[in-house]
Amino acid sequence: MSQKTTDRTGAAGANKAAGKQAKGLSRRSVLKGAAALGGLAAGSGAVTGFPTIWAQNPITLRQFGTGVSNLNAIAEKCKADLGITLQMTALDSDAVSQRVVTQANSFDVADIEYWICKKVFPAGTLQPMDVKKIKFYDQIVPIFTTGKLTPESKIAQGTAPNTVSFVEGADSKKFSPTPTQWMTLIPTIYNADTLGIRPDLVGRPIKNWKDILDPAFKGKTSILNIPSIGIMDAAMICESAGIAKYADKGNMTKAEIDTTIDFLIKTKKAGQFRAFWKTFDESVNLMASGEVVIQSMWSPAVAAVRSKGIPCVYQPLEEGYRAWGGGLGLAKHLKGAQLDAAYEYINWYLSGWVGAYLNRQGYYSAVLSTAEKYMTPDEWAFWMLGQPAKTDILSPEGKVMYTAGAVRDGGSFQDRMGAVACWNSVMDEDRYMVRRWNEFIAA
Amino acid sequence: MNSERRGLGFYVLTAFFVLFVLFLYGPMTTIFILSFQGPNGGLTFPMNGVSLRWFENLLFEQQAVGDFGGAFARSLILGVMTMLTTVVVSLLAGLAFRRRFLGSGPLFYLTIASLIVPSILISLGIGLAFQVVGLEPAWYTSGFGAHLTWTLPFGLLIMFAVFNRFNPAYEEAARDLGATPWQTFAHVVLPIILPSLIGVGLFGFTLSYDEFARTLMTAGTFNTLPLEIYGMTTNVTTPVLYALGTVTTVFSMAVILVSLAAIAVLRKRRARRIAG
Amino acid sequence: MTLSRIAPYLQATPLTAILAAFLVLPIATIVMVSFWDYDSIQIFPAFVFTNYEETITSPVTWSIYLNTLKYTVIVWAVTLVIGFWVAYYLAFHIRSATAQMVLFLVCTVPFLTSNIIRMISWIPFLGRNGLLNQSLMQMGLIDQPLEFLLFSDFAVVLAMVHLYTLFMVTPIFNTLMRIDRALIEAARDAGANAFQILTNVIIPLAKPGIAIGSIFVVTLVMGDFITVRFMSGGQSASVGLMMANQIALLQYPAAAANAVILLILVLLLVGGILRIVNIRKEL
Repeated sequence: MSQKTTDRTGAAGANKAAGKQAKGLSRRSVLKGAAALGGLAAGSGAVTGFPTIWAQNPITLRQFGTGVSNLNAIAEKCKADLGITLQMTALDSDAVSQRVVTQANSFDVADIEYWICKKVFPAGTLQPMDVKKIKFYDQIVPIFTTGKLTPESKIAQGTAPNTVSFVEGADSKKFSPTPTQWMTLIPTIYNADTLGIRPDLVGRPIKNWKDILDPAFKGKTSILNIPSIGIMDAAMICESAGIAKYADKGNMTKAEIDTTIDFLIKTKKAGQFRAFWKTFDESVNLMASGEVVIQSMWSPAVAAVRSKGIPCVYQPLEEGYRAWGGGLGLAKHLKGAQLDAAYEYINWYLSGWVGAYLNRQGYYSAVLSTAEKYMTPDEWAFWMLGQPAKTDILSPEGKVMYTAGAVRDGGSFQDRMGAVACWNSVMDEDRYMVRRWNEFIAA
Repeated sequence: MNSERRGLGFYVLTAFFVLFVLFLYGPMTTIFILSFQGPNGGLTFPMNGVSLRWFENLLFEQQAVGDFGGAFARSLILGVMTMLTTVVVSLLAGLAFRRRFLGSGPLFYLTIASLIVPSILISLGIGLAFQVVGLEPAWYTSGFGAHLTWTLPFGLLIMFAVFNRFNPAYEEAARDLGATPWQTFAHVVLPIILPSLIGVGLFGFTLSYDEFARTLMTAGTFNTLPLEIYGMTTNVTTPVLYALGTVTTVFSMAVILVSLAAIAVLRKRRARRIAG
Repeated sequence: MTLSRIAPYLQATPLTAILAAFLVLPIATIVMVSFWDYDSIQIFPAFVFTNYEETITSPVTWSIYLNTLKYTVIVWAVTLVIGFWVAYYLAFHIRSATAQMVLFLVCTVPFLTSNIIRMISWIPFLGRNGLLNQSLMQMGLIDQPLEFLLFSDFAVVLAMVHLYTLFMVTPIFNTLMRIDRALIEAARDAGANAFQILTNVIIPLAKPGIAIGSIFVVTLVMGDFITVRFMSGGQSASVGLMMANQIALLQYPAAAANAVILLILVLLLVGGILRIVNIRKEL
């Protein structure tokens, strides 16, 4: 990130915060440790109670996670607002899950995905959080609590976050299907994934997941090679192509796994796939270099391709999206001042600045109401409401991502998150699935 | 072959060698070219303008994800630790193996085993062992040990090659002149094997500096440089990676050139001193 | 006198201690864990053979092992040929020690750039719109980009040869330097032609170096996972990659069982090489 642009966005943030000050101050100043004021505090020198405490008694929290949300900008802002030093270590998702389970003392805060949570939380290296200490708990998007975006919506298949969001008690490792006082992860980012395409190279409209099987794209397609995620891509494709019908995609039977993997092997042998990607960056490089013209992708990866001046569309599909989410978990060993600091950090995380930062990258944040305050109305309308941009839409780094008039692929938050067909999953037959997945890769 | 005349073989092999070097530098050419990507360019072709943007970014700015400075410092320290330990331990072991001792056979095969056990297995094993014992892995403990299992066999094999060629007559002469074992070692043996020790050290450093698989599960809280770079690829990475490659290469080349010049100067001076 | 008798033991102690702590102990742990049981969430101490059963009875395992062996054989053969001639050139045609050192250093410089970066850079080099394809097309040698260059077995072998040839060059160079030049002169005086000198004098004397280089390359390729993953674009598997996948999904016992099998296989291969050449004597 360039110094210049940091200044620019920083200044913009401060101005915005100042603009909000008039109506927000009286209400928020009574909230103890209103960390949302941090941006303002940094500019004006008016310091709320907490930063001084942490400044006198320096606290360091070690956080790790994938590079997707383990951003240095967040650590910097956290230091400025709270005085808490965040030491960020970026790892790939494999290493993340291993570290949670095997190196319980090597971290304080773990930034992990919900499907990983299903595997690692029972290992007992994380402690659940008391929702009474989470200030914005009530405003967290209900996907993570009740599982329903709106009261009438249906919970999607797979490891939906709400199924692993709560445990039965403070020392329990058992997931509770309904909300309790003890929350495993505080959601950070989530998104609805679909296929990314190169509109200049596909040369036809793309409407369904099965379009990735079109012989015209032979040797120019890709899906993810993380078994728990890739199998869901595969399931969406198989269902769309009429190869299989699943009772529950997120919890397949052995027979369903066999059908899916056998089909994948057949497709692979026919040369349909160019590569399988594992890290974010690979998907960007595959698309940007033209190795692949249609592939499973993440929203900011599409943005990254586009920022290089290469056309790329995040194509909404009739069958809906495959969704994923990540959240922050606290290490078991945290206690005393460190635990307090961790709660403070999490409350700050939900208080808006981070949410806005993440929303601007094309992800969604956990508490939308606070994030909105840190975004311009135009930004909010573009990213969350699916309306055409009135001005150029900038990335958090200050680069133009979309020019005025552009509309977000897939539309509004409700349109996208409301059309989730399944979540990344850990199935009951996980062990069998991984064996078969290895077979597919080896075939 | 050793005659003054350069035969056809020489030219064919020179061409072959040049091709080999070109092959080694093949991916480096893309790294060189793409490190000059324009500000909006990516890690692949096409070039999107030409700029020094990514060098500026590498040297003066913070990355969106990851910490080059810290990771580089850790890798450097770990590399030096590994280098020194490898030199000392393999020198000692090399000296030990010059004589017969009980268990020398098993120790030799254990060292070879250390080389052939796949890296990922060592990584998993050390990670699990630390977990079972209840120790916390860190790059300077478990990671350090993991690197040593990799560099020590190389070091010992090189020492074998050195001592098998070493002419004991030098030592006997020193002893006949009344030198203590320590004096013999310090003034006779060490100077002769010094170039090989430097080789062991360089080998140890290079192997440790770029080690990935063995560090993967043994690094603890903080990443070494290769792990950090890998971690960075979980977000959008920029040609700053290539800028790092270019800087590393240019810097190493410069070090080599400077050392060569230094050696040449020293030689000339020594020759003059002997002549005078 | 007593000091000189215990000296070797003292000198060997650091090596022994390090290997005991970081090699023997971890391997013992792996062997132990390979008998443990696990479910999709945790591993727990037990004594079961299911991990071995599942590994050995699965056709996947066999095809992956075969695939890994295929890579090993091809990479070994290629690195041997290239490595031998490069070492030969450096040993017999480059006369000054300084020049030899410089050429060696020139060969090692690319390895100081992190392997991950070099892996990424193969894409713009070998890819559909990469440097190589574009150059070939500009020269008019091809009119369609060559697809097999990247994300294929070819790419995997190429990258491995790139990574591992130096491990072959160094030991062979070392043994070639030890060959008494008088032997070659003698062979020539006895009427041997260049080819006969090569096959009857040089290659037999270079055997220890070839053996050590082969051990390096074979073990490196057998245990590799990152090269296979990057260069095949996830299209192809190796034993190391299979283990890495299992580790990633916290199926440690399965990975450990796999590791034990792999270790036995590698030990057999290396044992075979050592049977042909006693490297300790001839180094």
